[in-house]
Amino acid sequence: MLKKSTLLLLALLLVSSVFVPTMFAEEPIRISVLNYFDLTSPGAERELNEVWYEFSVRNPHIIVEREDLFLEPFHQKTEAYAAADRLPDVIYMWPGGRSTSLHTLGLVKDLRPLLGEDAKYYKEAVLAPQAGGFLAELPQTMTSSHALYVNMALLDSLGLAMPETYEDLVAMVPVLKANGLDTILMGAQDDWVIQSCLFSMIVGRLVGDEKLNQILAGEAKFTDPEFVGALEFYAKMYEDGVLNRKIMQTSYAEVNGLFATGRAPFLVDGDWKTSNFLTDQTTGEALIPVDKQHEFKMTIFPAIPGEINKASSSGVVGVGFGMNAKIEAGSAKEAAAWELIKWLQGPEVQKMRLETAGTIPSRVDVTSDNIEPLVVERIRYYEDIMVTTEVLDNIFVGEVYTPINIGLQEIGLGFATPMEVAERTQEAFDAWFARQ
Amino acid sequence: MKRVAHWWTEERRAYLLLVLPAVAVYWAVMAFPTIFSFVLSLTNYNGGAIFNNPNIELVGFKHYLRMFNDRYFWISLKNNGLIMAVSVFGQIPLGFLFAYVIHRKLVKFGDFFQTIIYLPCVISTIIVGRLWQSFFSPYGPFTEFMQKLQPGWENELFFDPQLAILPVLFVILWMYTGTYMIIFLANLQKIDPALIEAARIDGATEWQVLVRIMLPALSGVIVTACILAISGSLKSFDLLYAMTGGNPARRTSVLALYMYDTAFRHSPNYPLANAISVVMVLLSFAIILMVRFTEAKFGGRE
Repeated sequence: MLKKSTLLLLALLLVSSVFVPTMFAEEPIRISVLNYFDLTSPGAERELNEVWYEFSVRNPHIIVEREDLFLEPFHQKTEAYAAADRLPDVIYMWPGGRSTSLHTLGLVKDLRPLLGEDAKYYKEAVLAPQAGGFLAELPQTMTSSHALYVNMALLDSLGLAMPETYEDLVAMVPVLKANGLDTILMGAQDDWVIQSCLFSMIVGRLVGDEKLNQILAGEAKFTDPEFVGALEFYAKMYEDGVLNRKIMQTSYAEVNGLFATGRAPFLVDGDWKTSNFLTDQTTGEALIPVDKQHEFKMTIFPAIPGEINKASSSGVVGVGFGMNAKIEAGSAKEAAAWELIKWLQGPEVQKMRLETAGTIPSRVDVTSDNIEPLVVERIRYYEDIMVTTEVLDNIFVGEVYTPINIGLQEIGLGFATPMEVAERTQEAFDAWFARQ
Repeated sequence: MKRVAHWWTEERRAYLLLVLPAVAVYWAVMAFPTIFSFVLSLTNYNGGAIFNNPNIELVGFKHYLRMFNDRYFWISLKNNGLIMAVSVFGQIPLGFLFAYVIHRKLVKFGDFFQTIIYLPCVISTIIVGRLWQSFFSPYGPFTEFMQKLQPGWENELFFDPQLAILPVLFVILWMYTGTYMIIFLANLQKIDPALIEAARIDGATEWQVLVRIMLPALSGVIVTACILAISGSLKSFDLLYAMTGGNPARRTSVLALYMYDTAFRHSPNYPLANAISVVMVLLSFAIILMVRFTEAKFGGRE
């Protein structure tokens, strides 16, 4: 029979085995994250498991409090957080555009000092200064905001060849119309789509970045012949039947199915659209099945009369995650937030994004054998681009590009002339410029 | 001291106990934000700390002037007016008609029709918006149906600034008529059937019963329905957001969407957005006062 003192000792040992480790355990660090996430995307399940769950397994001392939002609700919440000065610790961001205020108001940190030696793992171009003049977010990819998706099988069935010039494209219109087809599809009900995915490319070809920078510096105007000429070319696309006004009544999601089912041989969108056609890992379904993907090609818009930049497309470094500027430098919280950002752009995550969404890695050490033909095509598509020019909503603030966004729809509907839109844009620019 | 004790009666304490929580909640979530919104609309506040912020200045009615000079404000206001017209002169009369027909058993299967008419109200507005957007799409069932009737027909409903709002108005009528039908049906059931029976025995026609008994008895309900319709019309947002997003070219925008665009899209302008919300509140008050005045002057007595 054990003595009372032995029993007491055993009891003490038992209790201490439970409490002592927790007394000395590291206090977990909580990191709030505002994440941009489409739960309906084909790669959603893999992202949840392989990105977020895996991070929590590897970093038990960091508790991630994640808020997932998509499209407008995401931007609305970001603006609300920024206005209330209560940004989360880690935030999904664009290099400009809708995230411009985060950059220019200095609400997020410059990540370059934190990146240090790890910069060697990233393509040089993706680490260029962003809208605020510093590396506010670590990009996960390069993005081309313009791509011409081509249904080659449909073109072949009609005896048509890939258009080399704009005139070739115009010549196709009657043939396509006779077959009850549109020429180019766009999901342009939201007003950013035409500006970002088509008009920025046209401006790049006909106006060029040099002129845009002169406008930005107040040394040139939107009403100058070059910019008005770009608007006039865009207006001509409707007159020639290359664009149909129906694009402004077609939602951004609806156009995916329309293109996949052959309602037109061409689709204009950003290169990110590829992910909507890939196989959903949870259901095995795809809008464009793997065995049909070789029938689709990605390229850039044909040559435009009078273009000064040939074979150009508009593009930006891609989205990524930034860190709240209020986190104390050198703190444990900063280390935890940086651990998360590094992980989110790490080789495992970028590989997963390449496989599920065809996202071109920003790192130099990522590749995969497990990718669908359309992703291979997306990688190849970059070989077609000779020059990358600016996306308008990446270099101008919302106050300036909003009249362009609305004006492009108004031109298409015949409510405004190119000169009227140029004048309104210049007016908005002047008001903004005067305050700088 | 005696005066205080005299004032602090049990009845008054009970009164305050019952009223104060409601007043506090009303002040916190309704009155204070409205007044605060008005104050912000007179400043240059555009984010960051609100209190003790040295950069915030009073700028007067500058944002109101800018709003009144913006053509998208007037487009939005016009669309709100159209929605209000459809609500007051479409949903309420139709709702009453359906309620009357069902209540007076002028059709068979009244319960079935009641369910069918009310059904859209229980579906999420966002889903309804998406469904109708697909329906009216240039590649949707509506276009295909019209093309069967008229080969070569092009769906250009949204391209004429005068017509662009029509599909939205149709959906609003379809979606909310059931709410008013239920309100009228509930109140029709409160009218003493003996009154109607007596009128019929005295030789009154169905029309006379409707005009002389039913409508006067329901005039208070009609005013309530009008107030609901007007306030609902002025805050219209979700259906339009899901169905058109205010496009093309903001031609289907309404004040709430215009305010949302100003506050949260592209280049946030909070003072201007606050000015828009203040105008919406004032409009709401003005129109409701007009309805109350009309009811007081021409309405019947229950």
